[in-house]
Amino acid sequence: MKLNFINLFKVIGIVTFYFSIEMVVAYAHGEKAMEPYFRTRTVMFYDVTWSTDEVKVGEEITIEGKFRLHSDWPQAVDDPDVIFVNQSIPGPVFARVDSYLNGVPARQSFRDLEIGKDYHYKMTMIGRVPGNHHVHPGIAIKGSGTIIGPGQFVKVTGSQADFKFPVTTMDGVFIEDLETYALGDVFKWHSTLALFGIFWLLWWVWRPLLIPRYQALKQGREDLLITKADIIVGIILGVTVLVAIVYNYNAMANKYPKTVPLQTSRMYTDPIPLADPQIKINVSRAEYDVPGRTMRMWVEVKNNGDTKVRLGELTTANLRFINKSFDHALNNVIDNYPSEHMADGGLKIDDDKFIDPGEIHKMFITAQDARWETERLTAFLTDVDARVGALLFFYDEDGNRKILDVASSILPVFTADDGSSPNYQRIGR
Amino acid sequence: MSKEETRGFFSKIFRMRPADKEIMKVVGMDNEQAGLARYFDFLVVAAAFLLFCGAFHLHVMLSAGDWDMFIDWKDRQYWPLIIPIDTIMFPAAVQAAFWYYFRLPIGATLCGVCLLTAVWVGTYSYWHLWTMFPITLNVPSIIIAGCIILDVILLIFRRWIFVACIGAPLFALTFYPSNMAALTGFYVPVEHLGSMASMADVIGYTFPRSATPEYIRIIETGTLRTFEGTSVWISGVFAAFVCIFLYMLWWQIGMAFSTVKTWSQSPKIKKFLGFKG
Repeated sequence: MKLNFINLFKVIGIVTFYFSIEMVVAYAHGEKAMEPYFRTRTVMFYDVTWSTDEVKVGEEITIEGKFRLHSDWPQAVDDPDVIFVNQSIPGPVFARVDSYLNGVPARQSFRDLEIGKDYHYKMTMIGRVPGNHHVHPGIAIKGSGTIIGPGQFVKVTGSQADFKFPVTTMDGVFIEDLETYALGDVFKWHSTLALFGIFWLLWWVWRPLLIPRYQALKQGREDLLITKADIIVGIILGVTVLVAIVYNYNAMANKYPKTVPLQTSRMYTDPIPLADPQIKINVSRAEYDVPGRTMRMWVEVKNNGDTKVRLGELTTANLRFINKSFDHALNNVIDNYPSEHMADGGLKIDDDKFIDPGEIHKMFITAQDARWETERLTAFLTDVDARVGALLFFYDEDGNRKILDVASSILPVFTADDGSSPNYQRIGR
Repeated sequence: MSKEETRGFFSKIFRMRPADKEIMKVVGMDNEQAGLARYFDFLVVAAAFLLFCGAFHLHVMLSAGDWDMFIDWKDRQYWPLIIPIDTIMFPAAVQAAFWYYFRLPIGATLCGVCLLTAVWVGTYSYWHLWTMFPITLNVPSIIIAGCIILDVILLIFRRWIFVACIGAPLFALTFYPSNMAALTGFYVPVEHLGSMASMADVIGYTFPRSATPEYIRIIETGTLRTFEGTSVWISGVFAAFVCIFLYMLWWQIGMAFSTVKTWSQSPKIKKFLGFKG
């Protein structure tokens, strides 16, 4: 094939077409790629709310919620000694205005969070890039990565050209937009140094360059290759560069007389003071029915409190299994909560009832949903830490909530010995 | 344009000075050969420019990328230490090849200009246009001033050992002031969420990088008053010291990699490969 522009365009067209048909929009942030032990036994998000699902460019959205650091923290995950309150969004489509952990500003990272304790986070952002963006809260753990909370699509409308992020310095100088701040200084100085460099290159490149110089050098005529003019120009250029550096360094110091270094420190906050739920749970056995996509858990609950309690919800890996026959549990689900985080079948509990104070009650819990597979929450054949964790939400008769984290080894059930389904009601009881 | 016209074009626009004509005379090139040599020069220059843009940029991004990419990584301790140490390697190697074979004291400046070109193309295309970050977050470092000094020192002294002992320390020591001449404004203090922050901190916070939490920054975490309350010149002096030896090492690497090596045509190897001896 003759290489000409038409053929070149044909090739580019074919390649572009190939990549175009392969192109898909990625909405998620890699949470499915995280191992089950990460998602079911580390940062357990709950009570997540988004103040709106549609904002204009420049308008605010607030994401708020709580998380518990699971007591059955995996060995493979670094302890939450240093964490950062973050959000997972597709690039800077929102600008972050503020963020807090238990009311303490979260501009910097936090140290020494306590496993088994609860924390409250809140973050405010403003719309920057129009589009339909998936917005998650996230808690980044040093040494392990970011654990992503539930996500909701938030639509940003308007034009990015309208976005401005004004700031006032401590000297009282009003900066109109953080996106363009001080770029004039940068462009001017970088252009100046680039011109010096290009001048120096052209000074040499403009003359006979490679073959003649190589041949002359081989013949021992170095004297022809570097002249007195070259040395003079070189010295003038070197001195000019040094003078320009000193002059501009001082000029900028005068222009901005007060400067501070980058700020960094570790913040600390106590956990949320939650009352002892006075419920003792012992997980006798947990199974995952592979063909049935169902987690089954046999638990023994002892109510040590002075009010009756009833199980209303099981949450793990941002997937919520609600006891749909229990009003208090249903009332805990906000309107328009993202449906992808709600298990369709809910939570099934045999002998579902209020547990009296002092009573020991054995329960058989069934959490069935295809999302166990589609969310890649099972990895029994590859995972070295085949355990499952969850939060259990109990409510008393007045709707007061008590949260417990549970964990257990989980046994995969591929099929019964005789080919029929096992009698799950009898196992472990 | 025919070949003859092309040669004529190059011959005309690069009218030679008497010294250049003397070079041509010494090497025995007539006008036509000189035109062809210019044609070859510019093919090589164009290819070398793109090659050094790509290779040097890749080297810096892989080895010290975050300090160069993000404004809220440009601190007083690590940035003036790591970037000079990292960026003196390529200029030293390229200087060696250009000087040894052509007596051209432009290797370092070429690297500096190539790096600046590549990082600005990257900053504008993939950081700003593609991933929508504002340019203020991704203002790159610049090393051209130090590179020019390296080349000028080589031109004056004509020995790499002098460049290593004088030029390399100057390369490191001029890095911080030559960058602060553009970036000082990013260190103006701002009250942010009830505490003091620099403008660079605020920019880094405002435009979130989901996979880059704050703790991942490797920046200065404390300073002793013993050092006048600033660590920048301590870092600069240490970088200058390290640059001396790195310059020496990379000059030698540049020499080694610009030398053609061939296998000896051993009869045993020929026989092993199936050729008749």
